[in-house]
Amino acid sequence: MEQPPVLSVRFNPGTIKKIIGGFVLTLGFVASLILIPILQSVVTILIIAFFLALILNPLVNFIENRGIARLLASVLVFAMILFLGGVGFKFLAPRITNEIKQLSSGVNEQSPGETLQKLQENLGDKIPFLSNPMIQKELKKKIDDLLKKSFSVVVNVLSAVVSIIMLAFITFFLLKDGRRMKKTLVSWVPNRYFEMTLIILHKTGTQLGRYIRGQLLVASIVGSLSIFALYLLEIKYAFFIGAMAGLANMIPYFGPIVGAVPAIIMALIHNDGSLEIVAVVAVAFATIQLFENIFVSPFIVSKSVELHPMTVIIVILIGGQLVGIFGMLLAVPTASIIKVTAQELHWGLKNYRIF
Amino acid sequence: MAAKKKKTNNSFFNFHAGDAVWGNIFKKKASEEETTMAILKRVPLFKNMKKSSLREFEKLLHRRTYKADEAIFWEGEPGVGMYIVHEGTVAIYKGSSEKEREELAKLAHGEFFGELALLDESPRSATAMALEDSKILGLFRPDLLELIDRKPRLGNQLLFNLSLLIGERLKHTNDELQTLWDKLEDTKVIK
Repeated sequence: MEQPPVLSVRFNPGTIKKIIGGFVLTLGFVASLILIPILQSVVTILIIAFFLALILNPLVNFIENRGIARLLASVLVFAMILFLGGVGFKFLAPRITNEIKQLSSGVNEQSPGETLQKLQENLGDKIPFLSNPMIQKELKKKIDDLLKKSFSVVVNVLSAVVSIIMLAFITFFLLKDGRRMKKTLVSWVPNRYFEMTLIILHKTGTQLGRYIRGQLLVASIVGSLSIFALYLLEIKYAFFIGAMAGLANMIPYFGPIVGAVPAIIMALIHNDGSLEIVAVVAVAFATIQLFENIFVSPFIVSKSVELHPMTVIIVILIGGQLVGIFGMLLAVPTASIIKVTAQELHWGLKNYRIF
Repeated sequence: MAAKKKKTNNSFFNFHAGDAVWGNIFKKKASEEETTMAILKRVPLFKNMKKSSLREFEKLLHRRTYKADEAIFWEGEPGVGMYIVHEGTVAIYKGSSEKEREELAKLAHGEFFGELALLDESPRSATAMALEDSKILGLFRPDLLELIDRKPRLGNQLLFNLSLLIGERLKHTNDELQTLWDKLEDTKVIK
């Protein structure tokens, strides 16, 4: 009887390794695709904690520099943040929450419809397109949606408190033991990529730290100046709108406009559509922008992280599409992080002749 | 039953350095630290440093293992830091290809190399390769820069020792240059 031919395929060990490697990589990719949405909140907390540690690390180093142990330095920084946060919460929070409450329940005890009505009456003759009932209906729907959303925000407060405690806990340990953790992670890198990994991590960390701290400093300067200007001009909700303007300033090109629009709308509502006050608010915001562009940003924000205007517009649009306003705010920092990492990775791969 | 439970609890809480499992782990770590400290004491960069200072540097060291004929770094690559041989032998070569390769030095236990990379990332002037399975300790610029930020006194001490080392080498190079110059002058006179 004839034996059936035996199919024999010979693989050399290299090919087998490559196949196994590819399989593991695909499996890892699929697993992360499945796991990331499930662990989304944990991943978000980890990322925020990482950035907080990056921002606070120089402060802990500064205290350690004075001869205080790392553990105590980390505790001191946390105590300081709690103190400042407490003071800020005591003085600013009631004001801002009151402003938000008033804003969401309709300006000056009015319903959103009444507010719109008032705005429409004031502006109807000046800006005719606002009288369009379609636009009015759309605006009303948006405001109703916002109110509904604010209810779900209240429901989520408890989980937010838990997240904040977790965030504080992780940030503290990243500050205290971050170096040791990094050393352990680096120890797993194969010898060939070890030096390259060390230098890339160092350069990326330094640049990102500088960039994020710079952005925050610029945002707080612009925010404070905006609050001060709006307060002087007696614009309602100066604290809330000013703080928002500071945050929005982190979005290049669009940010200053996004920051100024609420202030201008408020000025219009409360000054019977007077265009003079609008001009004054616009001049104030333009002056703050000029000051920021000439005296603040050039000395604080790193040039190496700067993105091309075209890239900025595209990433802001993508961020807006994916996560909304929050996505627009995070789009440029995220793109900057990707840019710095890619730049350093490219530098490393080229100079260490990996490929 | 209760007595047995109590005993189990006691054995759990009363572990000490002499205990078979824990003792070995602690002993291994302690002896590793001791040998590392002993090696650091021999390296001129850590000269005149207190035990507490050496312990700080010991925390910064990366422990790497290389197989025989495995490169530690290649000539021309950006430098990141220095290495100290813990176990095994390391050869320093000049020349990129295997044919052109010229051995400059062979380094063994306690000897160090690549220290200039602690100062900047200029390309490595030679290739370092493990001749046998080796354990190497690495001290790197990012960690040193961070130490200077956190503990400037310690960082200064190391930089001072590094300056002394470079100064000594410069003097030695000057002497050699002078000797060569004199020899050259002599040959000119003879001619």
